[in-house]
Amino acid sequence: MNDSIVSFLSEFAIYKAFVASVSAKIGFDATSLLTFVVFFIAVLLVVNVMALIGGLGTYAERKISADLQARQGPNRVGPYGILQFLADGVKMITKEDIIPRMSDKFLFIVAPLLCMVGVFATLAVLPFASGLMLTDLNIGVFYMLGVSSLVGVGIFLGGYASNSKWSMLGGMRGAAQIISYEIPVTLSILAIVVLSGGLSMKTLVEGQLGVPWGWNIFHNPFTFIGFFVFFIGALAESNRAPFDLPEAESELVSGYHTEYTGMRFAFFALAEYVEVFVLCGLAAALFLGGYLVPFNLGKGLPLLEQFLQLGSFVTKTLLLYYVVIWVRWTLPRLRVDQLMTLCWKYLTPIALFNLIGCSFWMYFFEGKSLWVLLFKSGAKVAAGHH
Amino acid sequence: MSSYNLDVYMPVAILMIVAALLVVGALLVGHFIRPHNPTKLKYDAYECGEAPEGSAWSHFNIRFYVVGLIFIIFDVESALMFPVAAVFKKMNEIGRGGLVLVEILIFLSVLISGIAYCWRKGDLDWVKSYQAPKE
Amino acid sequence: MFTNILFLMSAVLTVGGAFAVILTKNIMHACVYLLSSLLGVAGLYVTLGADFVAATQLVVYVGGIVILMVFAVLLTGGSDAQKENKFGLSKIPLMGNNKTYTIAWITAFVVFMTLIKIISNIIKYYKETEVSAYTATVEKIGMLLVTDHVLAFEISSVLLLGALVGAAVIARPRKRE
Repeated sequence: MNDSIVSFLSEFAIYKAFVASVSAKIGFDATSLLTFVVFFIAVLLVVNVMALIGGLGTYAERKISADLQARQGPNRVGPYGILQFLADGVKMITKEDIIPRMSDKFLFIVAPLLCMVGVFATLAVLPFASGLMLTDLNIGVFYMLGVSSLVGVGIFLGGYASNSKWSMLGGMRGAAQIISYEIPVTLSILAIVVLSGGLSMKTLVEGQLGVPWGWNIFHNPFTFIGFFVFFIGALAESNRAPFDLPEAESELVSGYHTEYTGMRFAFFALAEYVEVFVLCGLAAALFLGGYLVPFNLGKGLPLLEQFLQLGSFVTKTLLLYYVVIWVRWTLPRLRVDQLMTLCWKYLTPIALFNLIGCSFWMYFFEGKSLWVLLFKSGAKVAAGHH
Repeated sequence: MSSYNLDVYMPVAILMIVAALLVVGALLVGHFIRPHNPTKLKYDAYECGEAPEGSAWSHFNIRFYVVGLIFIIFDVESALMFPVAAVFKKMNEIGRGGLVLVEILIFLSVLISGIAYCWRKGDLDWVKSYQAPKE
Repeated sequence: MFTNILFLMSAVLTVGGAFAVILTKNIMHACVYLLSSLLGVAGLYVTLGADFVAATQLVVYVGGIVILMVFAVLLTGGSDAQKENKFGLSKIPLMGNNKTYTIAWITAFVVFMTLIKIISNIIKYYKETEVSAYTATVEKIGMLLVTDHVLAFEISSVLLLGALVGAAVIARPRKRE
């Protein structure tokens, strides 16, 4: 465990030679310096790609919602309107920055910062590919849960700092929603951890197979339900419809980000879209086989293997992203008491039942999946007959 | 139990700093290209076109706090469960899986009884309005 | 090298946040400074090699306790209440009067002397040893929790049950009959 992109690169002779030559030039051991440089470049790359995905996410949302509502969507700026998000970005930067007179200025400025830091710090353990993960911490998924709770604090402070009734209500509801739905999400993740025997993202992904019947979602009936519990919880964690009461457009004007203008609002929106991507990525990694390629294609050729794995991960994540957008424009919004009832009276008992079920499964069947039990042991019996 | 270098935490620190710099940087860039025409009306809180009335703080549902408390309890419980869950597979291979299973069941049953108590006593109900008149 | 940088950043966050909590007059700001202080403590845990404890700190403290504190401040009408009573005198007492300050200073002095005594013992008997390698702690903690410290594990669940029931009972709204 505890690999990282640097340890992956260190397996290549070119990198080792490069480090040696730089060390020779500087005089002292350049491994840690070059580690820092590699990490820095990787982080910049990931942040840029994520910002791009955030922007394209807004475009995708508008196009998909247009498709669902039988209209066109943006199609002026660039071919098929694909540069719309750039135009939106420029618009946001050039808007006047208004901090309301009665607001708490310090908290007003800190809230989007907390949201952004919380979401971007989860990118450190997202398993893009086996060698391209930024780092594979021992506490991978637990760390991700911890850091994503910063978003809840950010939303709450944003609502409070604006000092307007709509924002305060939106902020409180948002924080209550996020902390409530963290419980079913955590319990579903616990069920997967029981089956995989480790917290690091690599252990969780590589406990599965690349082929669809080796995915965790089909491992046993409990994880199948667990996937849906996790998905619903993830929708609620990122304040996406039908759980978007904190930013309910028809009720609270714009909820906790009513008073935010221009770039500050853009940070909240960017944090939300990136968080949806991260949660979809986590769902893909935990339940849908993550970056594993069916039949281990490309094994032996490191670059091809990494490329295929990256493609597999991104495909699964974007499919889930599409489902998230689809759900938003299909289902009506939940009322706040329905939201809380759903979490505490339905999802949490189901998630607890899943955890107990997975523990029993682990003990009685030694963690073997349904397919292995049904087909592999069947093959053994058949071989025994002959 | 492989040993690791603390360098694996570098991306975490770098990501947090880069995110903070992104926010500060974008705002700084905007500072120079944004217009700045303050009028009194712009700086009032938005209340759908009316003049804002009354303070923003009103009687809030006490349920928010109860939900927060129950969440903390379950959060600590899950934080305690994570190492046990991570080690279950290994213990299963040694043959002590039953022991871990029983421990997990006892732990969870105590907490399930807690949430069942809260459910029966109505702590999980979300009262629609604290000041609503009895119907 | 990175250990030192991480330690420095975490220490600055912790101590700076702690000072800011004491010196600020706005209680909501104090909650945010507390958040930064707790983040710094998580970083310190990482430098000590206790990665699981650091993540637990993040999950429980930053993600839970701070939100709870902010809820509590808001629900009791914290910093938004009227700051001046009808005579124009400030309603917020300035961190206490002379008696409070005297007691505070004496307490701080006593705590300081105790800490100095403890730390001097450590410094006197400190041997320069090799920094042990960082190892994964999750598995170790898990193993200990299911073998040696099972009772602690189970009793903690009973403790959590007590906290849950107590909190639910106390926070229950009074029935308006």
